[in-house]
Amino acid sequence: MGSSSGKKHKKDKKHSHRSRSHERQHRGPDEEVTLDLTDDSTSTRHKHHKHKKHKEHRHKHHKQKERERPSEVISLEESDSDSSDCVEVPIEQVARAKVREPPARERDPPTREREPLARERETLVREREQHAREREPPAREREPPARERELPVRERDHEITAPPPPQISKHVDYERERRRERETERERESRRRGVKDRERGRGSSRSQSPIASHQPHRQRSHSPKADNIASRKRGNREREPGRERERERARSRSHSPIPESGAGDVLSIAETNKLRAKLGLKPLEVETGPSKSAPSASSSSQPENKRSATDKDLSSYKDEWGEFLHKPADNIKEKKEAEKLREKLKQRKEKRFLEERLARIRTLGESDEETDNVSKWVDRNKRVVNQREEALRKAKELEELDEAFGVTDIIEQEKQKARQLAYGDRNLKGLRVEHDVDDFGEGRTVILTLKDQDVLNEEEGDTLVNVNMIDDERYKKNVANKKLNPLSYGYNVYEEQYDELGNPIERAILEKYDEDIEGQPQKRKNFLIGENMEEEREHKRKLLEIKTKLAGKRLETLQDTNIKLASDTFSVEELATFKKPKKKIKKLRQKLKAEDLEPIAELSGSSNLGSRQRSNRETDENVNMTDESKPQIKLEHDDDDDLERVLSKARKLKQKENIIKKHLPIDVTSITHNVKPEPVDDATDAGGVLLSSADGNIVLNATAEFCRTLGDIPTYGMAGNRNEDSNDMMDFDRAEALDEHMDANQEEPTLSHGTWNSVNPDEVMQPADLDNLGDDVEERAILDEEPDVGAGVANALRLALSKGYLEKEEKNRPSNTKMAHLQAKNYSIEDKAAGEDDKIGRRDRFHAGPIMEFKDKETFKPNVKLDYIDDNGRILNLKEAFRYLSHKFHGKGPGKNKIEKRLKKMEQDGLMKTMSSTDTPLCTLTMLQQKQKETKTPYVVLSGSNKTTAGISGASISKFK
Amino acid sequence: MIEITCNDRLGKKVRVKCNPDDTIGDLKKLIAAQTGTKHEKIVLKKWYTIYKDPIRLSDYEIHDGMNLELYYQ
Repeated sequence: MGSSSGKKHKKDKKHSHRSRSHERQHRGPDEEVTLDLTDDSTSTRHKHHKHKKHKEHRHKHHKQKERERPSEVISLEESDSDSSDCVEVPIEQVARAKVREPPARERDPPTREREPLARERETLVREREQHAREREPPAREREPPARERELPVRERDHEITAPPPPQISKHVDYERERRRERETERERESRRRGVKDRERGRGSSRSQSPIASHQPHRQRSHSPKADNIASRKRGNREREPGRERERERARSRSHSPIPESGAGDVLSIAETNKLRAKLGLKPLEVETGPSKSAPSASSSSQPENKRSATDKDLSSYKDEWGEFLHKPADNIKEKKEAEKLREKLKQRKEKRFLEERLARIRTLGESDEETDNVSKWVDRNKRVVNQREEALRKAKELEELDEAFGVTDIIEQEKQKARQLAYGDRNLKGLRVEHDVDDFGEGRTVILTLKDQDVLNEEEGDTLVNVNMIDDERYKKNVANKKLNPLSYGYNVYEEQYDELGNPIERAILEKYDEDIEGQPQKRKNFLIGENMEEEREHKRKLLEIKTKLAGKRLETLQDTNIKLASDTFSVEELATFKKPKKKIKKLRQKLKAEDLEPIAELSGSSNLGSRQRSNRETDENVNMTDESKPQIKLEHDDDDDLERVLSKARKLKQKENIIKKHLPIDVTSITHNVKPEPVDDATDAGGVLLSSADGNIVLNATAEFCRTLGDIPTYGMAGNRNEDSNDMMDFDRAEALDEHMDANQEEPTLSHGTWNSVNPDEVMQPADLDNLGDDVEERAILDEEPDVGAGVANALRLALSKGYLEKEEKNRPSNTKMAHLQAKNYSIEDKAAGEDDKIGRRDRFHAGPIMEFKDKETFKPNVKLDYIDDNGRILNLKEAFRYLSHKFHGKGPGKNKIEKRLKKMEQDGLMKTMSSTDTPLCTLTMLQQKQKETKTPYVVLSGSNKTTAGISGASISKFK
Repeated sequence: MIEITCNDRLGKKVRVKCNPDDTIGDLKKLIAAQTGTKHEKIVLKKWYTIYKDPIRLSDYEIHDGMNLELYYQ
């Protein structure tokens, strides 16, 4: 409604504009003021909605008006009465207006044509009247009757141009003034209207129809085209029949939204219907569509009952504007009720049925003459038994008859035939199953179906497949495909070239495409039902055997070996097969002993048959060994002394040349490079054992061996070396022993740790040079700054420490030998194992690691020590070792200063330790002694170097280096 | 009943009365009857939508007074 009313407003506005333009043509400039006023009022009026009721009222007026078309002379009444418009009236005023209105309506219907303008005016008047009324509320009580009385008078008055309206008698002067004003205006307007009337004619004629039907027409008539049409048809507006026709046309046109001016070919409804009938279409629904839902004035005149029921149904789903309405939702409550009712009915039905059935059953209480009477009951039972017997007999007779005629055989045959005809195993024989036999696990049921095949493909015959297994195979293949490297296009370099038997697998070129090109996978594992699978299996087993043999495996049989009673002793046959473990030839021990070099005595065959207990055997062996050791073997041949000495001297000289060249911090690599490997000559080297190791030459003789067995090797520092060098020139023979030791000292870092004592320069140094130095210790306590040993134990210890006699920390870890006293005396590993005999075999297999003691060397209890050695062969203590590792790990060594400092300290330590406590650092004492020995004099002549005349002594102490 | 204008912009313009529940095919026949072209040759369009024969006008939401483009194939 809102929008339509808005449109109406617009239209009104349009009219007003037009009218104004007309006014301007007619009026002078002096009248502009009032017009402006009206204009204002219209604008205010537009804000308000119209009451429907009011419109109806207006229509009524209009109809009357049409009947008695007023002359051009315009009466005032219509404009004067408030009835025509009440836009601005507040509610209570509307009520008041109602009271007044009915008579006014009867009396004089306002002319429709003047409506808009009149309304404008009226609003103005209204306002003023309101003011008046508000000023005098009590006076109004009297008003309505007064008005009624006066109205006819007024009508008359208006014809005689505006007498003052009597209703405003109280304010006569004021009212009269206003009236006059209005009248003049009206007169002017009426004049104008005479011209305008025709213009607006169509619109007003439209407005006749009731509002509901009015809307669509209005909307359409707004288009300028419509206005054009209206103006065109203004001519035949005046006459009544003409108008009627016009209305008819408007109605017929009202269906067509398309203006006639823009129309092309048009067929009338009748024509169209004819055409539609020819085309087999249903006739046009003239009433339907938008016009139907909003019936126009003319369509409303058509009888309602003409509408068909279907139409009504249709319209029920359409709202008043023809828009589609949704079907109303189901009422859940009703539905539920219906459901309940249905349920109830159903239950009742069932109940009835049950009752009916129960009614038929005889109850216990009901009397039954047959069961009640004993004799009758007995009779009946007898009858039943008789009948049964009779039936049996008859059956037998029939059977006999059958046999007589051979019917049974026939039946039997038929049965057999039927059985044969039935589909069974043999029918399946020869069918091909397109799966690997191995896929069918035993005890598994697999449903096989006939494979889809070409109808024309006869040669292949039927094959059976299982859909799921096909899927599985496909899945497997997909997985395999996925595993292939996409970059190598399905070519697998590492594909197996040979099958499990070592035969080369034949592969076609680009065989991966075979399936794609030829469609069917070429080789698929399949088998025939009913074929002898055993053979094939046997064949396979053989293949597997060969394969495993090739792989170097042994097939284990699960067959039981025959079980025998265990006996304590071997039988003769067993003994024959029993082999005592061979005595292993003893390898070189840590210490070479005399008995080691002796040929191993053959074990005397013991009469003992041997028991299964290993411990027994071992003790026997031990006993044997101890018996066999023979101490009379001599290694040293002292008689060859001279020869040996000469040889060794030559050797020494040779070596010395090399040694002198190099620096004192011994470079292992340089040694290995410089020292020439000497030919090993056992015959000449009878005095000692010569071992040539990979890294250099070690010359050993009896003395060295002796020293070594003492456990420690005397070490000499640089001082000693220097001493030697100086002595070289004097006498080799005498310095031989020293040389030996020096050699040992020099070579020791290069020795490996295994068989010989580990080289440890820090270790206890003991003067082993017995012949020279051993007894001189107390005589030559020369060096100063030594802590006084006699002063106390602390000093002695300090001395020992500084000299390296003692070690600060106990480096030696508890070894087996040291802890031997802690070990169990009456318990051995063997004992533990004895309890579980069966486990021994396994135990031996798994536990015979390095942790186990050597069976053949029971006394061997190595003292395992893990030492870290730096690049110079120095043994590192815990801290240093860690530092060393850490530096290596981080790849970053210590700073230059640090290194220097450490080196210096090391040097000093070394010096301190190697310093002889009985000699000066320059070994002057030994030099002196040797000189004395040489000259065999108890004195030494000291002479200046420049003194050429040395006197008696030809010898002089000269310093080398 | 609705009325539809069909215009090929070559000189043929027809107004056709029809029911909203007629199909496009029916409409084409009606147009064909009025214009004299074969109905199979008619193509009805609105912008780029070609209306298809078996579908009703109401389903295409063709209302009273609408203008359809008339093409020939």
